[in-house]
Amino acid sequence: MLLGTASFVAVIALWWAVAALHLLPPQYLPSPAAVVSKFYVLLVKYNFIGDIGISIFRVWSAFLLSAAMAIPLGILMSSFPIVNGLSQSMIDFIRYLPVPALVPLTIIWLGIGESSKIALLWMGTFFQLVLLVADDARRVPREYIEIGLTTGAKPRQILRSIVLPAMLPSMVDNLRITLGWCWTYLIIAEIVAADSGIGYVIMSARRYVKTDEVMAGILAIGIIGLATDQAIRWLHRRWFVYLT
Amino acid sequence: MAHFLEIDRITKVFGTTSAGAAAINVIDGISMNIDEGEVVVFLGPSGCGKSTLMRMVGGLETPTTGRIVLEGREVKGPDRQKGMVFQSYSSFPWLKVLDNVRFGLRFRTDIDAAEKDRIARHYLRMVGLGDFEDYWVNRISGGMRQRVAIARTFAAGPDILLMDEPFGALDAQNREFLQLQLRDLCLKERKTVIFVTHDVEEAVFLADRIFVFSARPAKILEEIAIRDLLPAERDIKLRESETFFNLRNRILGLTRTQALRSEQMEVSQ
Repeated sequence: MLLGTASFVAVIALWWAVAALHLLPPQYLPSPAAVVSKFYVLLVKYNFIGDIGISIFRVWSAFLLSAAMAIPLGILMSSFPIVNGLSQSMIDFIRYLPVPALVPLTIIWLGIGESSKIALLWMGTFFQLVLLVADDARRVPREYIEIGLTTGAKPRQILRSIVLPAMLPSMVDNLRITLGWCWTYLIIAEIVAADSGIGYVIMSARRYVKTDEVMAGILAIGIIGLATDQAIRWLHRRWFVYLT
Repeated sequence: MAHFLEIDRITKVFGTTSAGAAAINVIDGISMNIDEGEVVVFLGPSGCGKSTLMRMVGGLETPTTGRIVLEGREVKGPDRQKGMVFQSYSSFPWLKVLDNVRFGLRFRTDIDAAEKDRIARHYLRMVGLGDFEDYWVNRISGGMRQRVAIARTFAAGPDILLMDEPFGALDAQNREFLQLQLRDLCLKERKTVIFVTHDVEEAVFLADRIFVFSARPAKILEEIAIRDLLPAERDIKLRESETFFNLRNRILGLTRTQALRSEQMEVSQ
């Protein structure tokens, strides 16, 4: 934690020094102060909060949709070879497609509304997540399942009382990482076709070389990412006390 | 006359399915009868098939040929009548000690929660962990974790207890203490136990009868009725007695050649 803060401070100090000494023109690298004050102006004057809100909404809708579908399917894949056989090659194929390549398709199919963005994020994360979940479920020790079998548990009870709690810590970690990917894909979606959202703000600022605004947008994503990550880690520590 | 547990001409061949891997003969026609309340030890080199046979009694593996009959019914699959204690992953880290023991009763619908609590606490005290109900199992020692698993399995009230090298990962002092405690518990509860190990002293100390297994494919080399040679109640001093010492040496002689054969088999594969 201390080290993390120190490295942060060091990077900002370096940035500030480079900007203060006018080593680079401000169009290249505005000072940290300029970025922060721009951030503030965007918030109070230009409804940046609305853009942040819509971006968060897109990310979480797609993320929850992905998770809600990937968790059951992943567990099914791990317990039934037939489900695994049917889905594995399909998933592998889609998993290797670069998300930006899918943007034109989602626009043709779903237009430029919310659904096309959510669909894009879903495609970028679902196929990865389902494999991660299947792996988590497969790594539940055989002994745990057999303890269930020899205490008279039915398959549903084994799933609920053994498999789920056993795989939960690593699954929460994987969900946290997937949520990070969602942000990457969101910016792709918003840069290509959007009239709102953080990505859109960044892209339209670039057009007028408002570098401080571009960096304010990036700053916003960074802060949100850091905050969510820390929040999930904190929950992880609280829920899984027994791991420490 | 029907026995409590009848193991009847069991064979097991691994790898005959689709994959086309060379078939491995694991168990080569083993038969034995076990009576109620006996502590039976399967002793043999690692990888010889003794665990596989025990898992078949538990219904966790199926024999290729032959059958296993427990209390007049053929074993078809796992259930609460056949309790298991494993060497590792023997208890659930997300449950505290008491909840782990209570897990043995979790899926019973014929008794209420208060009764489950009472039974779980009873067995937790029997293994000497009465003061540790509220501990996470990751915070207690490996030996205590195995006692939690033993308490859980006794609490579940199975007809037969199957133990797969449960003390294999413990240090010598801990192991001796747990062997003593387990022997006591088995006598008190009159449980039928099959205990798998490759440790000769452990086998002699715990067993009413030992079945010495050959290297793969497993056959019974010798059956030794320890109960005719040692008293039922055993203590630490017994280990220093001449009878114990002689028994141990004789069996060591038997197993040594098998262990060597088993090693060579591993290398040649």
